[in-house]
Amino acid sequence: MTSIEYLKIPRERVGVVIGKGGAIKDKVEELTRTELEVDSESGSVAIKPTDDMEDPLSVWKARYMVKAIGRGFNPEIALKLISDDMMLDIINLPDYVGKSKKAILRQKGRIIGKEGRTRDIITEMTGVYLSVYGKTVSIIGDFEHLQVAREAVDMILNGARHKSVYAFLEKKTKEMKIKEFKEIAKDERTL
Amino acid sequence: MADKEKWGVANIYSSFNNTIITVTDLTGAETISQWSGGKVVRSDRQESSPFAAMAAATRAADDVKEKGLIGLHIRVRAPGGNGPRTPGPGAQATIRAFARAGIKIGKIEDVTPVPHDGTGRPGGKRGRRV
Repeated sequence: MTSIEYLKIPRERVGVVIGKGGAIKDKVEELTRTELEVDSESGSVAIKPTDDMEDPLSVWKARYMVKAIGRGFNPEIALKLISDDMMLDIINLPDYVGKSKKAILRQKGRIIGKEGRTRDIITEMTGVYLSVYGKTVSIIGDFEHLQVAREAVDMILNGARHKSVYAFLEKKTKEMKIKEFKEIAKDERTL
Repeated sequence: MADKEKWGVANIYSSFNNTIITVTDLTGAETISQWSGGKVVRSDRQESSPFAAMAAATRAADDVKEKGLIGLHIRVRAPGGNGPRTPGPGAQATIRAFARAGIKIGKIEDVTPVPHDGTGRPGGKRGRRV
């Protein structure tokens, strides 16, 4: 019923979307029951729904998966988007720092940190997956954690010091733990 | 045929703060049902939750069935403009709830407004200061 979706991915990521002997492409098609048509020349991907599709959203999901792989994610992580809670968020760096190549490079370096330290801290504290690729920073994770990670990246991009970002992350993770406990307690009471 | 195959349009506005569902006829001029996350939950924090969206969608689905529509086309919208361009957590839940309520889902369209370079992001030069 739903119509064909088109999107474009970088040419160097086309090989990853297809995978070895079409493995990744087959996997995406199998999980979402869609049909992918990849044009290796231009890097455009067409996602067609098939008749035995159960979920009306699977075209969207396939689209997000392909988009995530195109944004530098490992296909294994991108395939986690099949779950309903997992979401993809893409932050466009030129929106924050302008078109200057140097500025973009500098901010990418700040997000990754020395030997990937900042990136590791963000992913470890919030439990999301982070990919810094080209002119974008992409995050895959569940809704609440994704928002925290996004805010942390926002802070770095707006010029906050790494120290204060780490402090922010620590505060938020603590808050979230308390919230989880409270919700569990509430559920038990209502039951 | 006109009696049997009546379709409508579900306009879903899904932000991080709320989910608003407006079901209209195909022209979009006649509203059939209007529900939001805020109408079904008490606390402000839960307005945008998938659960609230699902509850709102099932109620909207009841209205839709009462009016005799068999299917809905979907127009999903995120805040757009300066804000986030990806629909919030309620959008997927809403569509799924419609499908589960036995309503056919037609075309799904993303109608998030994207500026052709519009106004600046809020926050100013020194960023948001908390």
